[in-house]
Amino acid sequence: MTYVEYKQLNPFQRFAHDFKKFFVNIPHALAKFFKAFGRGFVKFFVGIGKGFRNYGTNFVKGDWATKLSYIIFGFGDFHKGKYYKGILYFLTEVLYILYMIFFGWGYLCKFPTLGTVETYTYMDGIIPKTVYGDNSMLILLYSVLTIVITVAMLAMYISNTKDAYKMEQLRAEGKTPTSFKTDIKEFMDGKYHITMLSFPVLLIGIFNILPLIFMILIAFTNYDKTHMPPGTLFTWIGLDNFTSLFDVVNSSKRATTFIKLTEWTLVWAVLATFSNYILGMVFALIINKKGIKFKSFWRTLFVISVAVPQFVSLLLINQMLQVNGAFNVLLSNITGQDIQIQWLNSTPLMARAVVLIVNLWVGIPYTILSMSGILMNIPEDLYESARIDGAGPVRTFTSITLPYMIFVTTPQLITQFVGNINNFNVIYLLTNGGPTTENYYQAGYTDILVTWLFSLTMDSQDYGLAAAIGILVFIVCATISLIVYNNSKSMKDEEAFS
Amino acid sequence: MKKIIAILLAGMMTATAFAGCSGSSESEAAGETSGDSGSSTEVSVDGSFPDVSYFGDEDNITLKVWAPDDAVSLFKEQCQTFIDHYSEKTISIEVVAQTEATAATQMLNDAEAAADVFCFPSDQLNKLVDAGVISPVAFTDAVTENNSEETVSAGTLNDTLYGYPETNDNGYYLVYDTSVVSGEQAETLEGVLQACEDAGKKFIMNAGDGYYACTFAFTGGVTVDGLEDDGITQKFADYDEDEAVATLQAFAQLFQDYKSTFQSLDISNIASGFDSGTCGAGIDGSWNATTDQEALGDNFGASKLPTINVNGEDKQLISMFGYKYVGVNGSTDFAAASQILAYYLTSEECQQQRAEELGWGPSNKVVQESSVVTDSVVLSAVNAQAANACVQVNISSTFWDPMGNLGNKLIADDCDPTDTETMKKLLEDTIANVRDEG
Repeated sequence: MTYVEYKQLNPFQRFAHDFKKFFVNIPHALAKFFKAFGRGFVKFFVGIGKGFRNYGTNFVKGDWATKLSYIIFGFGDFHKGKYYKGILYFLTEVLYILYMIFFGWGYLCKFPTLGTVETYTYMDGIIPKTVYGDNSMLILLYSVLTIVITVAMLAMYISNTKDAYKMEQLRAEGKTPTSFKTDIKEFMDGKYHITMLSFPVLLIGIFNILPLIFMILIAFTNYDKTHMPPGTLFTWIGLDNFTSLFDVVNSSKRATTFIKLTEWTLVWAVLATFSNYILGMVFALIINKKGIKFKSFWRTLFVISVAVPQFVSLLLINQMLQVNGAFNVLLSNITGQDIQIQWLNSTPLMARAVVLIVNLWVGIPYTILSMSGILMNIPEDLYESARIDGAGPVRTFTSITLPYMIFVTTPQLITQFVGNINNFNVIYLLTNGGPTTENYYQAGYTDILVTWLFSLTMDSQDYGLAAAIGILVFIVCATISLIVYNNSKSMKDEEAFS
Repeated sequence: MKKIIAILLAGMMTATAFAGCSGSSESEAAGETSGDSGSSTEVSVDGSFPDVSYFGDEDNITLKVWAPDDAVSLFKEQCQTFIDHYSEKTISIEVVAQTEATAATQMLNDAEAAADVFCFPSDQLNKLVDAGVISPVAFTDAVTENNSEETVSAGTLNDTLYGYPETNDNGYYLVYDTSVVSGEQAETLEGVLQACEDAGKKFIMNAGDGYYACTFAFTGGVTVDGLEDDGITQKFADYDEDEAVATLQAFAQLFQDYKSTFQSLDISNIASGFDSGTCGAGIDGSWNATTDQEALGDNFGASKLPTINVNGEDKQLISMFGYKYVGVNGSTDFAAASQILAYYLTSEECQQQRAEELGWGPSNKVVQESSVVTDSVVLSAVNAQAANACVQVNISSTFWDPMGNLGNKLIADDCDPTDTETMKKLLEDTIANVRDEG
């Protein structure tokens, strides 16, 4: 289809065309994504390789002090008169060696097996005493910590050898190294970003990255209710947790549950995102329409449900939807009959519909808020010139308002979509996964992947399986977000509306 | 200068991010006494206090005890008595509120930081033993002799006794408004439902919760029988499938016949239903007995679960029945002191006090015969039901959800009580799910 043909279509045909194009393009986009991913991967290792550049030549070319600093950290710096840096390097080495001797190595050498010594109980007179063996969880955790520290240490080591050679060259040029005071000043000036960010980065590393690596590794272990530290050991099982989720051949219950729940999770995410988006937009448009009186009053009125915290609303609505809840009582009073509808606990279809509708209540206000803001930001002269050119209301909407809104809100839509894939609150507090079924493993009809993950960890202690599901959810979310965002106008044409 | 301020601000921001981490402690020390005067006259473990020699060389003892919310103050008093008794040792005991329902989970999360002595219900026993966080009982002979046989056997796993029996009352019973349901009607489920319907009131039971819903399977003969050799798969006693299916059909038929009377709701709705006059009867947890009594006043009626008519035969409803135990943390620093304290806390003296003040049903044989138990309507009803119950021990964690689903399916609008095949499939699927097969 040529550009001219495309422009002649009406907005609905155009939308259908774009819609089709998006899905036809998915394989292409996926290929592009993985290519980019591969390039990034290569770049990462090339970058690491670059770090080692001149490692050998520096050693050959360097003098005896530089050579010695390949074993003793900071010796080169110290020898060339940069005392404080030399001492700091040396202290790091000493601390690292002490850490490894007294703590790290003990855990790290058990990392391949995750422990072999079993816990046992013996009798001291009549008093039983328990002697704890290896704790697989602690071994895993501290091994990860040790590995991270070792990698940091390696970086420090390389920078130490480079520094030694640099100092040697500096001396050869007849210059003296900068003083401690000058260097500190440099941290307030040229290297200010390091001063500002090093502490937050350190904290992120400890409280985010480290647990993340730990959790990812758990997906490859058999950490479950029968392998529970400190009493029993768990160990590596490779990809068994993942394969059990895709074991459709044996039609295992885990696999069926995983596939069915993934389907529903995606359906839920799409419906929940777009129902909120479209209805929120409709409300915002109505309120912002010229000639509507008391605009701020309506805006406040529609947004007021935000005043009640989301989880309180959900718990209250859950109570209202019980058999003896407010809705049934209301219906009974209206009809004069005894109405006993199980809103959340009869058919899957009804429960799912109810969840989607309730989600509108907690979601629409936020869409109205952001949409109103965007609508008020559209330059009025665009509309004026459109009117002068003879465009009607439909035309102005499809040519100005809608493109502008989609342009601004695509990143927000992606966030909401991913948020809905992981929308724990609505499902857990409203239905807790129900209606229950005998066809799923530890899950009900409205369970999405995260709520299933929650019941797997909290009720049946299947930590390994849950970690595997978490990784898969992350891969799905990341892939979708990257593809959609990279194909969106907001990304390709950042300047469009500025 | 601006940069320094920026650094300070960034530092403060990170600091505030951590301000929330320092949680407040809800614990209170029960007291501390020390002294080297005074003498002990106890020489054996027959009484409430084991001999002081069992402490071995442990001294300067600090212990932490987990007790359920409503029992914290009584536990504190009892711990104080314990401290006073062993005055030659320096003991300090801290009693912390911790619901029994999540005690095992908390123990597994971090056994080192958990209590030395803790209360837990019987169904958590295998979880605790599997994880190796619970220590076996030291005074096995004395405990076995003093407590009822069922409580001791339910606290035993692999021939080792792990829990000090604490109560013998963790179950559910039929509670009814005597102005709605007569004592005679309360004997059959049909009678109770009919009485409620006649009065225009509701009968409440939480049929969607596996803890109550397993009654439907148990009554049909599908009772639990420990675990398989692998230690996680639920074992069921041999049952007659036709009979089990017929029983499920009878339940489903009743629920359909009394659709507007039978309500499946959380049991907290029973007492509030009595208050508002909308509820006529219900199947409630024994721990709610006092609340029910307050709500109904003089009209309070309690009995064992009713019977149900299956093909002309009245069958007694079989319930899930559990016990509560006091356990000793395996990773405690004071193994002997913890064992002695656990022994004391479950002794005749302490069980008597708890029966009187909290209405907890005792596991101690002597206290079971005392008037505080025999005079109580609730405790007698609970005891009567205990004879018709499956013991809540060695229950696999995959038991509850499929049983809850079974209940949900029986009360569902689209349930057809006459459809034998579907009902059979439902039963088979439920058992397969509990056993985690397929």
